[in-house]
Amino acid sequence: MIWAGVALVALMALLGAPLFAIVLAAAMLGFLAGGDELSLIAINIYGMADKPMLLALPFFTFAGYLMAAAKSSERLMDLTRALFGWMPAGLAIVGFVGCAAFTALTGASGVTIIALGALLLPMLKSGGYDERFSLGLVTASGSLGVLIVPAVPLILYGVIAQQLELGETFTIQQLFLGGVGPALVMLALLAAWTVWRYGGGLRPGFQAGTLWRALTTGRVADLPSAWSIDRREGVPRTSFDPAALWRAVKAARWELPLPFVVLGGIYSGFFAISEAAAMTALYVLIVEVVLYREVSLRALPGVARESMVMVGSILLILGVALAFTDFLIGADVPQRLFAFMQEHVTSALTFLILLNILLLVLGAIIDIFSAIIIMVPLLLPVAVGYGIHPIHLGVIFLANLQIGYFTPPIGMNLFIASYRFDRPVLELYAACLPFMAVLLIALLIITYVPALSLWFL
Amino acid sequence: MPRRLQRGLRVAETSLLVLLLLVMIGVAVFQIVARNAFGTGFGWGEDLVQVAVLWITMLGATAAAGTDSHIRIDLVSRFASPKFRTLATRITASFTALLCAALGWYSIEFIRWDFLDGTPGVGAVPAWVCETIIPVAAALMAIRFIGHVIWPNTDERP
Repeated sequence: MIWAGVALVALMALLGAPLFAIVLAAAMLGFLAGGDELSLIAINIYGMADKPMLLALPFFTFAGYLMAAAKSSERLMDLTRALFGWMPAGLAIVGFVGCAAFTALTGASGVTIIALGALLLPMLKSGGYDERFSLGLVTASGSLGVLIVPAVPLILYGVIAQQLELGETFTIQQLFLGGVGPALVMLALLAAWTVWRYGGGLRPGFQAGTLWRALTTGRVADLPSAWSIDRREGVPRTSFDPAALWRAVKAARWELPLPFVVLGGIYSGFFAISEAAAMTALYVLIVEVVLYREVSLRALPGVARESMVMVGSILLILGVALAFTDFLIGADVPQRLFAFMQEHVTSALTFLILLNILLLVLGAIIDIFSAIIIMVPLLLPVAVGYGIHPIHLGVIFLANLQIGYFTPPIGMNLFIASYRFDRPVLELYAACLPFMAVLLIALLIITYVPALSLWFL
Repeated sequence: MPRRLQRGLRVAETSLLVLLLLVMIGVAVFQIVARNAFGTGFGWGEDLVQVAVLWITMLGATAAAGTDSHIRIDLVSRFASPKFRTLATRITASFTALLCAALGWYSIEFIRWDFLDGTPGVGAVPAWVCETIIPVAAALMAIRFIGHVIWPNTDERP
């Protein structure tokens, strides 16, 4: 009977039933099988009102939607361009940094590609980057920045990890610090690869044909000529322009203090995370509506509604998932899962490899929020059992899910980009692959060098 | 769903959501100022903001049900034919409506306990009043999903 229920729920998930309904059904099945009251689910949903940190979510999300509705993206682009545009392959670096900052500030809700893509894509193409590279950059960078404060997935992970009772404890401030190093590794690797590809200068060249001829004809003396050092013309560079920087700073004068409002609020100790979030929301509201006047009072209810619909659909999943977690813990599922894993996987390293594979697949199928809500309660206790620090696990989780955003065949950002730039999805698959390769290398470094995420402990 | 009913619900949802959000921001910021400048604050200010998050969650979820924009695994809608998609929407919406109805029904019991126990909520408002949003929103969502069963709206989803 229960298995028939499980099969039905799985079928509904595949057919596209809302995820909250899937998790709700799973929780109900669990409670029914255990002979518990179904009213436990409502108790768990109401229990969300007892998690003060959760407050940060609606506030940061609202602030993010407001900035996306205003012309913040243009100002951010101008500013990063003035700051980094003069570097070799500067425009691409502007793209990476701008996307990461925008994603962090807007809470990683998929708006980066929509808001920045239209500015970045033509800019890159006219800057000498080929079409495929530009498309790949815009699509793959759409999720860069989920590890940077105040990205909502990061906060969500903190909320969920903290309500599980683990041996290891950490503060949300530490989690935020933990994301910085890995985010920089990703940016640095992407930048290095781009400079290699598009920056000018000396590059070793290699002619497979010459090597093959030398080998087949047996002329050993010709072997070295297969390798060469070429001087390559990079994309055109621009010089640093102080006047442009000044203009960009002046244009963004009201938004520039924002990182200080957020970070100062979080690290000064004057107020809690949720309060820093409230300050941020109020500040952004005043800036975009009163100072820049880019979001009119008439448009404001629409923006508020849209952002709260997003918050509602995430937090409802969280509410029913809390109930589901309640059932899982009552049924000892995490412990059993750990015992099972221990039998088959002995080293933490193997566990991490398996985890990476699982999360990459998962990240491509479901959105980052649901993946965190559903998988963290199950996997975190197991990971802690293997001696992995919760902050490190959080970083690995987010890094994986970030790549999952543009993993073929159904990573969400591929479709957003396909829709936004009116290109076939297949073209985007190909365009994103090199970026995926670079980020996978970054992921390996992040996974196997815990110190990157835990240096301050 | 009939246009006028749809529009009425939308206006009501939006107004409540905007009101709640503004109250939340206002109270939260007021608490910071009151605490840091005057060393005081409402005892119930924090509770109020936290209950407001619950209300926003439930109302936001209701609004998402209205436009059928809840988070889902988008396998079928991306690759199936429009005809099959309509069928899938009808089936999954019935399933979801049923679950929402069950959630609402069983939450009433929880509210009854808190009513009988007189559990404190926000200030003078007892907990059971704050909790009523759960069955109300669940019922509204069930109605919305029944609407999607009858008028399956397979328009473009973002």
